[in-house]
Amino acid sequence: MTPSMKQKTDVQQGTLALMVLKTLDVLGPLHGYGIAKRIEQISGDLLSVNQGTLYPVLLRLEQERAIESSWGASENNRRARYYRLTREGRRQLQAEVRDWRQTTEIIARFLTAKAEQLS
Amino acid sequence: MRALWRLWKRMRNFAVRRDVEPRLREEMEQHLALQTEENIRAGMKPEEARRQAVLTFGPADAIQESYHAEAGLPLIERLLHDVRYALRRLRRAPVFTVTATLTLALGIGATTSIFSLVHAILLKSLPVSKPDQLVRLGKKADCCVEGGYFRGNDYSIVSYELYTHFRDKTKGFEEMAAFQADGNFLAVRRVHDARTAESYFGEFVSGNYFAMFGVSAYAGRALTMSDDESGAAPAAIMSYRVWQQTYGLDPSVIGSEFNINGKPFTVVGVTPPGFFGDTLKSMAPDFFLPLATEPLVQGDSSLLKHADTCWLEIIGRIQPGADVRSIEAQMQVELHQWLRSHLNEMYAHAALDIPSQVLYLSPGDAGITSMRQQYEDWLRILLIVSGIVLLIVCVNVANLMLVRSLERRQQMALSMALGAQPMRLVRGALTESLVLSLLGGALGLAVGFAGTRLILRFAFETMTAVPISASPSIPVLLFAFGISLITGVAFGIAPAWMATHADPVDALRGANRSTGRVASLPRKTLVVLQVALSLVLLSAAGLLTAALHNIEHQNFGFELDGRTVIHIDPVLAGYKPEQLELLYRRIHDSFANLPGVASVACVQYSPMSGDSWSEPISVEGKLELGRNADTEAGWARVVPGFFDVIGDAIIKGRPIDERDKAGAQHVAVINEAFARKFFKNEDPIGKHFGQGGMEYANDYEIVGVARDARYLTYNLEKPVGPFFFLPNTQSTSYRDPSAASTDVRSHYLHDLVVRMRPGARLSESLARTTLASVDPNLAIVRMQTLSEQVANTFSQQRLISRLTSLFGILALVLASIGIYGVTAYNLASRTSEIGMRVALGADRSDIFALILRGSFLLVAFGLLFGLPLALGVGRFLGSQLYGLNQFDPIILATAGVTMALSALFAAFVPAYRGSLISPMQALRSE
Repeated sequence: MTPSMKQKTDVQQGTLALMVLKTLDVLGPLHGYGIAKRIEQISGDLLSVNQGTLYPVLLRLEQERAIESSWGASENNRRARYYRLTREGRRQLQAEVRDWRQTTEIIARFLTAKAEQLS
Repeated sequence: MRALWRLWKRMRNFAVRRDVEPRLREEMEQHLALQTEENIRAGMKPEEARRQAVLTFGPADAIQESYHAEAGLPLIERLLHDVRYALRRLRRAPVFTVTATLTLALGIGATTSIFSLVHAILLKSLPVSKPDQLVRLGKKADCCVEGGYFRGNDYSIVSYELYTHFRDKTKGFEEMAAFQADGNFLAVRRVHDARTAESYFGEFVSGNYFAMFGVSAYAGRALTMSDDESGAAPAAIMSYRVWQQTYGLDPSVIGSEFNINGKPFTVVGVTPPGFFGDTLKSMAPDFFLPLATEPLVQGDSSLLKHADTCWLEIIGRIQPGADVRSIEAQMQVELHQWLRSHLNEMYAHAALDIPSQVLYLSPGDAGITSMRQQYEDWLRILLIVSGIVLLIVCVNVANLMLVRSLERRQQMALSMALGAQPMRLVRGALTESLVLSLLGGALGLAVGFAGTRLILRFAFETMTAVPISASPSIPVLLFAFGISLITGVAFGIAPAWMATHADPVDALRGANRSTGRVASLPRKTLVVLQVALSLVLLSAAGLLTAALHNIEHQNFGFELDGRTVIHIDPVLAGYKPEQLELLYRRIHDSFANLPGVASVACVQYSPMSGDSWSEPISVEGKLELGRNADTEAGWARVVPGFFDVIGDAIIKGRPIDERDKAGAQHVAVINEAFARKFFKNEDPIGKHFGQGGMEYANDYEIVGVARDARYLTYNLEKPVGPFFFLPNTQSTSYRDPSAASTDVRSHYLHDLVVRMRPGARLSESLARTTLASVDPNLAIVRMQTLSEQVANTFSQQRLISRLTSLFGILALVLASIGIYGVTAYNLASRTSEIGMRVALGADRSDIFALILRGSFLLVAFGLLFGLPLALGVGRFLGSQLYGLNQFDPIILATAGVTMALSALFAAFVPAYRGSLISPMQALRSE
């Protein structure tokens, strides 16, 4: 594994976790495939080649008690693992959304800054 | 919080080995199925739909791996994996593993056993509460009774009066306790018990002794201040050991009546099991008695009332936050005050000497450290010696590991070529050596435990109650663990380093061609180091053994064969001074009539018994008892016939005999050293001298000169010092109460020396009944032959020289194994070269010489490097060698030759095998 690849996954992991939380918050309980589809729909090609990377993130969130999971029946009548947001997860989501907003706002202001503002 | 939860989950997963894989696999399967269905709905053919689904899912293996890493504890898993791998590899090479583990166990075990002694004797505090608050008077450990007010700068033992002066005046102490500098034997019998009196070791202590140590009784109660008042009912506290061994933990012992030296005592309690008093020594006290009962128990030889007799050590517990230095200054002032208050009892101009009297306080956490003082140098030597052995062990195992790693070069190179990370290979190699060293350490702990027990047995073979336990304590366990880790890294680092330098190209090149020659340099260096260190140990062992042999086989000036010494204590049986003459006559007569006994004599203390009495003397018409002149001479009281019984020849005049009655002229027999020192060229017979000042200078008339005999157990490296013998029938009444008390005590003769006819033996039971026929209250404290008594004097030296020799032999064997290994390995890597040489016409002896020459060079280098080290060791041992030349060339040469011979012998076998190599064989080995 080359270093650049690794860095990319690290960045994705954080954003991916936030996307998972948001998806579950909006849509309620979903299985892995469902989450992947929604994220794909909204984020474009972020997951298009690497849907599988979602699963370690789900496990991690579950260990952090942000989400919980149980077996349920899926649309094709097979056993699927359904994930749902916990109260702790909702708190985490709110905190992270706040952080993200702040960060993006600052960055956005920075990027739109004119030359005279920076001098 | 989140991180904690996660860690908990991961640890749980790890601990229960929960497999998360099936769940992932099922989820993945489901994911792919749903994606495939969707792809089909989008119009793909089923196979294509499935293929696309797998593609978008991503690399399943990598995902699985990172999923797994999230689930468990990858670091520990990797470590376990490495350990399992190392174990598997070690199992594959059983000979290597067993050799290395045993070698390591020996090295670690040797070091650990010495360390347990170091820990017990040099490092450990007393088993009392908060030992760091304890402070003791003085630095040295003194024994046991000293006369005079002045102690110079060595105030460690003091008189009872000075103790109470300090105790009542000094601020800053919570408690200040005093206790006897060395205990004494007590005849103890439980009232209404059928058993006769037995002798036990006892110690007089101040009433606050147990309160000061913060030690409470295990059963009953401890002694208190109210027990230590004159007129209080005599109370004693018994050690747990006696309570257990003699009285079987019988609770009725507490509160019951005992006869101690014939005086009624109540045993009020039992000390805790681990408590051994104030001093770590080979004999812990079994009874503690209040100081106030000392006059009752000791009768006429009591010391309590003499202000100028020093016999008590002081330990105090300082108040939290008190400053030791200011307490010391305060006590210094108190000392001078006290001395001035006694000026009229001292010699003229004594006031001038008061300012030079200095006292020191030192840490009291370890109590009185006489054992520390006695063993410190020896233990340091042993620790260094065992450290060298451990170093040799490391070198040896490192060598084995190097050979192994060379053999695995190709495999390593291949691993590197296939993309293994160098760090991973280093980790593997290091894990292997650590696993090995920990295995060795675990086994070494067992070896160390056995070793400590063995050493304790040897060191204290005559002692009954050594308060040192061989069982490993936490610090010892930690030490062994730490030493194993260090060892593991020390011998593992070189092979690990070599692992990273495996060149992937080597893998392609195939056979290990002569790159081995370069790589053998570290191994050769190691062998040189080993030989050098072994030489150091061998020469140290040689020096110590030779020194021991010299002192053990010196001319003692008395005969050892056929003499038995029976140690008795008439004080215990309650004898008064005026009854003694008759007692000794009766003892003499009843033993003289036993079958096989040639002659019998009583003496105050027998040669090399460990006891010693000495006093400054003054010679009539010669020297004033000066403050600086050294007029000390040793002395002992004897009965007629003594010189004949121990075989000390009278070379001039006559021995002490029946003529020397109480009322007759006071006489003395001196030794040659006395005559040389005080009467240079004159004839000493008929001259007079005395103990103490000039007023006694004409007290004794010299009637004979005895051959110099080694009487005392110290200053063994020096010639015998001046010594004189006095008849026990005569006594001098000294004005000075302390001198008078000394004179009274000197009339108690403690040793009965029995000379047997050739072939006859005196049994202990016969000795017991014979003594009981004189007086049933007389107990035998100890009985041994004179040779045993002399041999016991050197038991410590014997132990050290034996251990060093053992370590030396161990080093020799290890170094030889090392040389064998290197020679054999070199031979293996040079097989083709040798085959070539033989093919070109070299004959067997050429090859033999070629291989042997290589080893010989290594040994020669090793000896060359070892020589200055060995000389250094001789210097270091210096004073422990009892006058033996520390650079003794014969011993050094013997050590060198022994090393060289065994090394060459070790190289001989591979060299011989090498000379048998045929060209065909060499070719085939390619």
